[in-house]
Amino acid sequence: MSTLIAATILTPLVSAVLGLAARTRTRARDAATLVGLGTAAAASLMLLVRVSTEGTHVVRVGGWHPELGIVLVADLFAALVLPVALTIIFVVELFAIGQRRTAWGANPELAGPLLGVMTAGVSLAMLTGDLFTLFVAFELILVSSYVLLTHQGRRAQIRAGMSYVAMNLLASTLFLFGLAFIYAATGTVNLALLTERIPELSEGVRLGIGAWFFVVFGTKAAVFPLFSWLPDAYPTAPTTITAVFAGLLTKIGIYAMIRFHTLTGMDRLGSVMLIVAGVTMVVGALGALAQSDVKRILSFHIISQIGYMLMGLGLFSAAGTAGAILFLVHHMPVKTVLFLVGGLIENDQGTGSLDRSGGMAARRPLIAALFAIPALSLAGLPPFSGFVAKFAVISAGIEAASIPIVVAALAAGALTLLSMAKIWIGVFWGSSPDASDGRETAPGNRRTMLAATGLAVAGTLTISLFAGTLFDLSLRASDDLRAPDSYRSAVLS
Amino acid sequence: MIVARSPVFQLGVQSASPLAVIVGVYLLFAGHNNPGGGFAAGLVLGAVVTLRTVAGLQRPVYGPTLITGGTLLVVAVAAAPLLWGDPLLDQKVVSVDAPVLGTIKTGSALPFDIGVTAIVVGLVIALLDGLSTSEALVPDRGSPSPHRSSS
Repeated sequence: MSTLIAATILTPLVSAVLGLAARTRTRARDAATLVGLGTAAAASLMLLVRVSTEGTHVVRVGGWHPELGIVLVADLFAALVLPVALTIIFVVELFAIGQRRTAWGANPELAGPLLGVMTAGVSLAMLTGDLFTLFVAFELILVSSYVLLTHQGRRAQIRAGMSYVAMNLLASTLFLFGLAFIYAATGTVNLALLTERIPELSEGVRLGIGAWFFVVFGTKAAVFPLFSWLPDAYPTAPTTITAVFAGLLTKIGIYAMIRFHTLTGMDRLGSVMLIVAGVTMVVGALGALAQSDVKRILSFHIISQIGYMLMGLGLFSAAGTAGAILFLVHHMPVKTVLFLVGGLIENDQGTGSLDRSGGMAARRPLIAALFAIPALSLAGLPPFSGFVAKFAVISAGIEAASIPIVVAALAAGALTLLSMAKIWIGVFWGSSPDASDGRETAPGNRRTMLAATGLAVAGTLTISLFAGTLFDLSLRASDDLRAPDSYRSAVLS
Repeated sequence: MIVARSPVFQLGVQSASPLAVIVGVYLLFAGHNNPGGGFAAGLVLGAVVTLRTVAGLQRPVYGPTLITGGTLLVVAVAAAPLLWGDPLLDQKVVSVDAPVLGTIKTGSALPFDIGVTAIVVGLVIALLDGLSTSEALVPDRGSPSPHRSSS
């Protein structure tokens, strides 16, 4: 199993440098990146199977004891989220290869290798057992994301990239400060040891640390007052890049938050988290309604959806955490697919603006179907995965008798549906606009792009199909997180 | 270019670079037990490359190759212990009694450090190459941006 864990981190890195070395030799480069990302995704799937049957597996890097060295911990939570994340990146790379270098597409010479580096960071962030390695993994992801976001060098990208970089540097600095606080208070940054030592701290220090890291991970996750960088930065990037960012980056923040705050038992912060979650949902959904561009609407939805995951976490109950985990698993592919479809729309229409497009349902029924399924799923309609995930979170809220947050969640769901209807009316209904106003449509390889999107839609449908199994796994993962004894003994013994 | 104005600078860099390379190599080997290591060595060697570029002297040009080779070496050393059942990144230490040099203690950490050095130097070279091309300065190519109209 150690080999599987190593494979999820090392193969994307190797494929990245091979892709970099291949440079303009397109075929070799595409093969290297696809094989590397595919291997990593397959390894993570096998890891999920092994971990769900055999329990948590720990790799001590270099054989050092956890007090001294780095550990990689494949517990059920990590093993559950990792395959979803890695499969998404694989699908997006497939889409990017189809899209080629067009006005809308990323430069494949850079995108492939950098996605590999980012994948290594994502795997490391999910598997790491100590906070400092988590910091390193965040930086690995961010450094590649800076380049991916701005490499086309357009004015809007550079401007949005500035605030993106500044915001993330701020969060990274706060992260480092927080690490210093934790180390000063407990003498370790290893999560397993922290589960023991943080509860022993005085109430004030403990909650201070919890609140500090809530801000740090909250900035990465784009929760309510800290989200302003997101809807500015994401829509400017090439579609494929936005799809990865939307599916993964904010979710890594939520992932870290679920792991850190449940393992260290920060239940007292629950009420603050619920308030933030409620405001995040509603503000995100309202923001989406006010937009008139496909990618901008979808970007605001990311924020709104983060609220649901935060709500599940903030309830600090077994069902709540399980709901948050299930929501994470459902949300990542659905969000990515929606952005990929956004890319198909732009490719076809030459614009993502609602006012200047229309009539796609008649001309491109397949794209319309590919949009409708994840859109309904995101809004939370049965029988799609979004319904199951939202139901899990909301029923956990009812169980905990937190009525205001449940009302907020339901209202945000209705608003989401409304803005999805806005995209549908703007892009898919109505008459086709005149194509003569000098817009650049970029054909690319439509078959590969459609195949990639279709694959991703199939993936989200699979998630709805296996929702029961996944919820059971989420429940087990949340039980493990909430009773950290098993985590601790797995890592330390 | 600075060379045209200052031959002193060029001569200085030229005569200092062998010494700096020796410092870099020393750091690479010292890093096993003392301050230093692959990253520090890479930075020193990278500084040599940068100074030579500014002075208009010859310098290595194969940045991506160094990055690729270095990463492959690092990954190979990191993953090799898995083959015989040891943990990831485990290291083997070798001690040799050589006639003149005395006891030499080294191990699998050395190729790892060399790989790190190669990556750092490769990145510096790639960075210099990137700065010296004009591609980064190409303005908007008139391609459609979703916010052109609104911003």
